[in-house]
Formats: sequence, C-alpha cells, structure tokens
Amino acid sequence: MGEPSLNLFGRLYRYFAGRRRVLYGATLMLVALSLFASSRLRLQDDIVAMLPDDGSSAATDFRLLQLAPFTRKLVVSLKTQAPGDSAALVAAADSLAQGLREAKVGKVSTGPAALGAEFFGFLGTALPNLCGEADLKRLEAASAPGKVRERLREGYEQLFAPEGWALKGKLQADPLSFSDLVLERLRFLNLVPNMRLVQNHFVSADGSSALITVDTTVPMTDSAASRQLMDRVDAAVKTRVPAGFSATVLSGHRYTLANADAVKRDLYLVLTLSIVAVFAIYLVFLRSMSALFVFLVPSSVLAIASGAMALWAPKVFAVTLGFGGVLLGMVDEYATMIYFACRKGGKDPALITAEVARPVLSGALATLLSFGVMLLSVLPGQRQLAVYSMTGIAAALLFSLVVLPHLVRPAPGGSLPFGGMKTLHPPRRMVLALWCAVLAVCAFGATTVRFNGSLQAVNLVPVELKRAEAELNRTWGDLQGKALIFAEGKDLESALELNRRVFDRLAPTLPPGELVSLAPLLPSQAQQRENRARWVSFWQEGRAARLEGDLAREGAAFGFTGAAFAPFLATLKASPAPLNVDGLRAAGLSELVDALVLPGNGSVRVLTLVPDRPELIQRLSRELGTLPGVHLVSESRFGAAMGGSIIHDFTRYLATTGVLVFLLVAAVFRAPSRIALVLVPVVTGVVCMLGIMGLLGLQFNIFNIAATILIIGLCVDYGIFMVSRLEDGGDETSSLAVLVSGLTTLAGLGALALARHPSMQSIGVSVLLGVGTGIPAALFVIPALHRKDKA
Amino acid sequence: MKRLLFLCCLLCLLLCALPLYAETQPSPQLLDTLEKNAGSVRTLSSDFVQEKHLSMFKNPMTSKGRLYFSKPDQLRWELTAPVASGFVLKGDRGRRWHERTGRTESFQISQEPIMKLVSEQLFAWARSDFAWIKKEYRVTVLQESPALLRLEPRSAATAGFLHHLLIGFSADGRYVKSVELHEKDGDFTRIRFLNTAVNKALPADIF
Repeated sequence: MGEPSLNLFGRLYRYFAGRRRVLYGATLMLVALSLFASSRLRLQDDIVAMLPDDGSSAATDFRLLQLAPFTRKLVVSLKTQAPGDSAALVAAADSLAQGLREAKVGKVSTGPAALGAEFFGFLGTALPNLCGEADLKRLEAASAPGKVRERLREGYEQLFAPEGWALKGKLQADPLSFSDLVLERLRFLNLVPNMRLVQNHFVSADGSSALITVDTTVPMTDSAASRQLMDRVDAAVKTRVPAGFSATVLSGHRYTLANADAVKRDLYLVLTLSIVAVFAIYLVFLRSMSALFVFLVPSSVLAIASGAMALWAPKVFAVTLGFGGVLLGMVDEYATMIYFACRKGGKDPALITAEVARPVLSGALATLLSFGVMLLSVLPGQRQLAVYSMTGIAAALLFSLVVLPHLVRPAPGGSLPFGGMKTLHPPRRMVLALWCAVLAVCAFGATTVRFNGSLQAVNLVPVELKRAEAELNRTWGDLQGKALIFAEGKDLESALELNRRVFDRLAPTLPPGELVSLAPLLPSQAQQRENRARWVSFWQEGRAARLEGDLAREGAAFGFTGAAFAPFLATLKASPAPLNVDGLRAAGLSELVDALVLPGNGSVRVLTLVPDRPELIQRLSRELGTLPGVHLVSESRFGAAMGGSIIHDFTRYLATTGVLVFLLVAAVFRAPSRIALVLVPVVTGVVCMLGIMGLLGLQFNIFNIAATILIIGLCVDYGIFMVSRLEDGGDETSSLAVLVSGLTTLAGLGALALARHPSMQSIGVSVLLGVGTGIPAALFVIPALHRKDKA
Repeated sequence: MKRLLFLCCLLCLLLCALPLYAETQPSPQLLDTLEKNAGSVRTLSSDFVQEKHLSMFKNPMTSKGRLYFSKPDQLRWELTAPVASGFVLKGDRGRRWHERTGRTESFQISQEPIMKLVSEQLFAWARSDFAWIKKEYRVTVLQESPALLRLEPRSAATAGFLHHLLIGFSADGRYVKSVELHEKDGDFTRIRFLNTAVNKALPADIF
C-alpha cells in the first residue's frame, strides 16, 4: 500500500474547510429535496417484483394460475356438530350467507342457481347438439320396443305417487329418459370433489359441512383492504354462526394478512431491539455528541436513495424499499471509520480524510460490485434493489468522506474508547489454533447443510391457516390443488374446439371426478352442427316413425292418449337451437360457465382442470405440447420452476460477486498474502455460516443465498479496513470501526433472526452467523496472521 | 223478451248463489279453530281414493291407498291399488318401496327437492300447520262449516305448476277430508280421505 496522498477527498476537505456553511446548506438541501421527491413514490405491492421477466413463462404462468376457480374466491366452510341434521346446516348456511351479504363482502353463493324448468328445457335442447355416434347407439338401444314398454310402465306407476305431478312434464317431454345422457356429462363439471347438493346447497359428502363462496373485488395484495374485508367476514361469522356450528374461512387475503401482520410484528420487535442496541453501542463506543452525525448518515442515505428512486421509477416495489432500507440502514462502516480517525486526530484533517478514503473507497467499491451484480438479475425487484442500494452506498460514501470530516472534532488528547482496544491482543497461537479448529468443524458442518429451494420454505403460513387448509381439504377434497389447462383461441368458437381436442386426449385416462371440463356440455358450434345433422339423419331413417308407433301402441295399453308424448316426438323431427354460453347461464349453470370460460383481450380461454400430480403433469406436458394454443400450468411445477429460477439467479450472482470481489481485492492488494488476509473474514464468515447451519440442522434457502452476498460485501470491507490500516502502521481506529460497524450490523440485521417470518429470519440467521464470525476473524485472526506474515 | 227474462232469471240465480260461494278472507277465528281442533290430533290413519284427471290419459287414473300419520314427523303413504308402492317419512329420512320391482330404497328428504316439497305439503295438512300454510299460500274461505279453503301459491316457483288447492275439512274440523290440486294446464288431482281414525294407536313398525 502506498502512502496516502492528498487525494480528491483530502482536497475536497480543504476546499470546503472555508465554505462549511455552503457544504452543510447543500447537504441539507439535498436531503430535503430527496425527502420531497420520495413523498411522490408509489409502492407496487405485488409479486411482479419476484417474477422473472427474462421472457420465460413464469410471469404468464403466474397470471394464469390466478384464474383458477377458487383462487379468486373467499371460501367459508360451515361445520355442524350434528352431521345428520342437514336442514339445520342449510338454515345456518343461509343465515351466514345473509350476514355476509349484509356486510357487503361481495357476491355470496351457497349453491348453484336453482335448477328449474329452464334446466330441464335445456336438457331437451342439449341432446341433439351433444349426441355423438356412440350416444345414438345407446339411444337406439333405449328405444327398443321392450324398453319403451318398461319405461312407460315406470312412468305410469310413478304418476300415482304424490311426487308424480312433478314428473308429468318430464314424462311427456322425455318418456324414455334420453336426457340421462346429458346428465351424465355433468359429472365432468364437479369443481368441488367431495360435494353433493342438498336443497341446492353445497354440502360435503359426509353431511357435516356447508360451503359458502364469496366473489370479492378486493385484491389479495392489498393488505389494508384485505384487513377491512376479513374484519367484516369475521364479524358476520361471529354474529351469524349459531351454537353447535363452527366456520373456517380461507382466502388469499388471509395469507396476505398473516404475512403482513408477521412482518409488522417482526419489524416492531426487530426495530425496537435494533434501536436500543445501536444506541447502546454508540453510547459505549462513540461517547460524543458528534456521534450523532454518524447516526445520521444512514438515515440521510435512506432519504437520498428513496428520492433518487422516485425520480428514476415512480412505481417502486415494496420489497425494494423494505429490504433496501434495512441494508442501507447498516451502511455505517464508512462513517464509523472516518469518525474514529477524526476523533483520534493528531494530523491535518485533510490528510486523515485522504488516508481513510482509500480503504473506504475499496470497501465501498466491493459493496457496489456486490449490489451491481444484481443488475443482471432476471427479477425486476432485484434490479431495482441494486439501483436503490448502489445509490445509497454512493451517497453514504460522499457523506462520510466529504461532509462528516467537518463535523467530527478530535477527542481531547486523541483518546479513543477502551484505549483504542490496544490491549486486546490475545496470544497469536491461541487465536490461530482456535480459528483453525472452528474452521475445520464448520467446514465439516457445511457438508451436511441441506438446501431447500422451494418458495414455500420462505413463505409464512401460520399454524391456524395450515389447520384450516387441512380441514378444507379433508372435508371438500383438494379445492386448489388442480393443474389448469387453458385452451386459448381468438374467439370462443376456436377456444371451444381446442378445448374439445384437449378433452378427447384426457378423457380416456382421467375419470370424471378428476377431470373438470366444459367440453362434454358445450362443444364448438361446428361440432354441434355435425351432431345435429347426425341426430336428424338418425331419426329420419324411419326410427322416429317407428318409435312414434311404439309409443302409441305401448302407451295405449296404459291409457295414454295419442298426443301424450307429442313434445318428445317433436324433438326427434325438429332441429333445435344450438347451445351457447348464454343458454347454459339461463339453465342455471352460470357459476360453471364463469369459472371455465375466461374472455380476455382479443382472445378467449376455456379452462380444464386436472389433478396436480407431478407424474400426470409431466405426461400431459408431453401429450398436450403438440396442440398449439394449449397452455398447461401447475402450481407445483410453477413453484419448482420459480424456486429453480431464483436459485439459478442468486447462485449466478453469488459466484459473480465472489469473483469480482476477489479481482478487486487482488487489484488493490496485489500480494497473494495480503489478498488472503483481506479474504479471511469473508471465508470465515461464509464457512461458519454454512457450517453452523449444517450442525444445527437448519436448511439453506433462497434468502440465505441473498444474505450470503451481503456477508461477502460486509466482511470484505472489514478485511480491507483491517489490512489497509495494518499495512499503514496498524493504528487502532480500524479495529474500532470494524467492531462498531459490525456490532451495529448484528444489532440491525442479526436481530432479524428473532423474526417469525421465514424470509426475515433466514436473513437474520445468515447475517448473525456470517458477520458474527467475520468480525472476530477480522479483529483477531488478521492481526495474528499479519504478525506472522511480517515475522 | 224471452232473452231478457232468461237474463233476469240468471241474475237472480247468481245473486242467490253468491252468499253460498262468496270468497272471503279467512277469519282468524276459523283458522284458529281448525288449528286448535287439529292440535288435539296425535295420530291419524285413513284410507284414501285418488283420482288424477290428466290430459295425457284418456280416462281418470284412480288409485287407492292408506295414510298414517304420527306427530310430529312420521308419515306413511301407501298405495294398495293398482300398484302396491309407497313411502315412509321419518324426520329428514325416508324409505320408499315398490312391490312389482321389489325395489326398496332409503333417502334423505333434504336431498330430493320434489320429495321435500311433497313432504312439506303432507305434514302441513296432517298437522294443520296454518302458520306455514299462510306463509306459502293466499288463503280464502269458500265455506265455513265444514271448512272448505282455496289456496293459491304465493311463490312464483310453485305458481309455475300449481294453480290452486281446494282443501275440505271434516265436520269437526280435526282433519282434512279432501284435497284437490289444480295445475296450470287444467289437469287436477282429487284425493278423498275415508274411514279416518283419529288418535288411534298405530302399529309400532308402521313407520
């Protein structure tokens, strides 16, 4: 290391020494303008920040997954303690539904629309439009003379029973129960696996629960509106659910609130602890009013970085401000370095500034490189974080090297707290032996650490929500664990045609309970035309006349008039109107239509649901891959792909950061021994973090990877500061600076280890272990190795 | 002149007949009395004859059977001719049988919309539950003693197939003697209850 010359920062000190008011005024003005600019920031509180925008299908898949039938709904499962009494269950469901409606939470539904005369009319119209070749063969068998006699006898006898009056119309319109063919197709439209209808209400197969769904317009990412919504729902549940019943409410809003509440609780705990700890650290180590300015540097940096973001991108991801804010709050090592150097005094402040500037610049450059690599990320939130953090680091650098030296006066006699830690020199051999032992144990532990790349590992799902999920799955089957197959066309007709082709491929291997599709009930118009033509031709081949004769003859034996079945015979001769979406809605099937037909901008998607089983998804991906316009999305596959994508991203810039930091250190320190010394805290921090996590059985997740980058950035600074100052004569200010900034980092980021939210906790644990071991390595191992090096 | 005389006679006849069939709102006393009289009924057993006048048949369909009722929610409706069949209702549960097919099956009333409607009607008449009846129908009194009521459904859904009901009570007002269901298309069903026994012990295994 060369002798510090009066570099740019030394000269700047001299320049502003006579113009301090201008400097302070300009600084205050900059902070004030930044605060003003940052007030214009608009937060973007959605997942887009964490979705790759590299042209991969992740973002599209994510948007498509949001179109799943129950993803957008709030679901209430009402359970009775007396499962036999379905009338009471239905009454309680109606009461709660009314309460929810009065609370204006959205469109509340307890069951499908009542299937009345319109539905039975629809059955008659549907048959000619739906019947394929195989269906007509079944109808031929059902209309054999023997079957006609049998059916008419059944119908005749049913008419004597009290419920016979309701069957009269059906007997006239469909004496041979042809419409059973259409009813069979409804089995492919069961969105809730373990559900049956009781008094037109969704009731579980075991009769214990009723299902209420709510369509709400409140976005799941809006935590404030979600809270209002859930408060209203909870109030309705509280006042409307009678004794002997219990309600389980599940929706995306619950997860949003659980996460928001956990983050809020965590921040309250962590910030309180951090502020108290940082204040205590400053009180113990800095012991001067001018220490206030050190404290102000990170605060000002936050304002400037936020202001710069407001000018660059008016919409900022919440995660950028949240995580970036925490990071920049810890950027006080430059200020701490200059503080201790200035407090020690004994030299021209310009010279002190110039001397400190070099290691500080090297450290800042290493940190800038760490964050700069994030600009290559495929995640937009990460790129914003890079810009935000780099702006903040540049501002911290300027404040520390240009403004702070004017604000910190030398301590009387140049005395530093604890005598500048001069006496804290443990025996070299003991330090090195302990270090080697710890490294060896941790290196072994690092080989046992388990990696968990799942996004679920960093997502907070409270116990009560897990219990609610399990309860709903047990009662109703897996409502949300369905893979989605979208058949997309430029219009409904082409989408329906594609949907039929999808159905034709899936139906042979998937039973109706597993496959949910509109295709059996709503084919394309072209397919319907074909079916109608087949129907007309089938009956015109003398079959209609023969059946008419059979009905007249067999009917007469039971006393039926000749015109008794005229409505039915008319359907064999006339070509009915085609089926369409409006017809299905009018028949009372609007819930299904709305769930499965999804109009978009310039296109229409028709949705098919299949179980989200990995082996099935793999097979279907292959089989449906040949159908253009068909898109298969599965939550499990998306989660794995996203986890993989993020891991790939983080691992790439972890490696790039490592290489760049190494190159920077090599360029600055040149000699291999000094390079190795600088890297001691980094190596120690990373190995110990991995080792201790492995030994404690903690899993390494994607947030641990992010925190590792932070550890590299921080620990390399400590190494640079220590080696630079040791090379320049070994004064004690660098030790104090490393200790104080390290402790404040531990107090700030390490306190996150106490958080409940898995992502925050992961960062906290990593930093606590990495920085917590990197600091003693910098303070004790570097001097020990340096002495050996010199010796 | 002859025509004028005929019209006068017709008018006189109509005026004379008016007091006999004037439709009036039910007096609370009448319904109260009917409900009170029916309140003392614990069990009912009765033969019935049912005539269905349906346009899809050349002749009325006649059937015979027997009805049993035990308070509060047990009922047996049994056809003996022309086809032996029937059902038993017990709370929310039910069982139906058909002798020719040999089929017997249990069911839950709440899961069968038509059966639910039928059971509501049958229980309402057997119990003389006027609170329910007035909620579901507009009631007019055609005759005070023995009581004859005309009921028109209030709900559009029921009105879609049922035009009105005529309910005739026994002289002592304790039970229903006849029911006529008139459909919108002109078809109707008449049920006459005969040999009705009130509060007679019923065999335990009948429900």
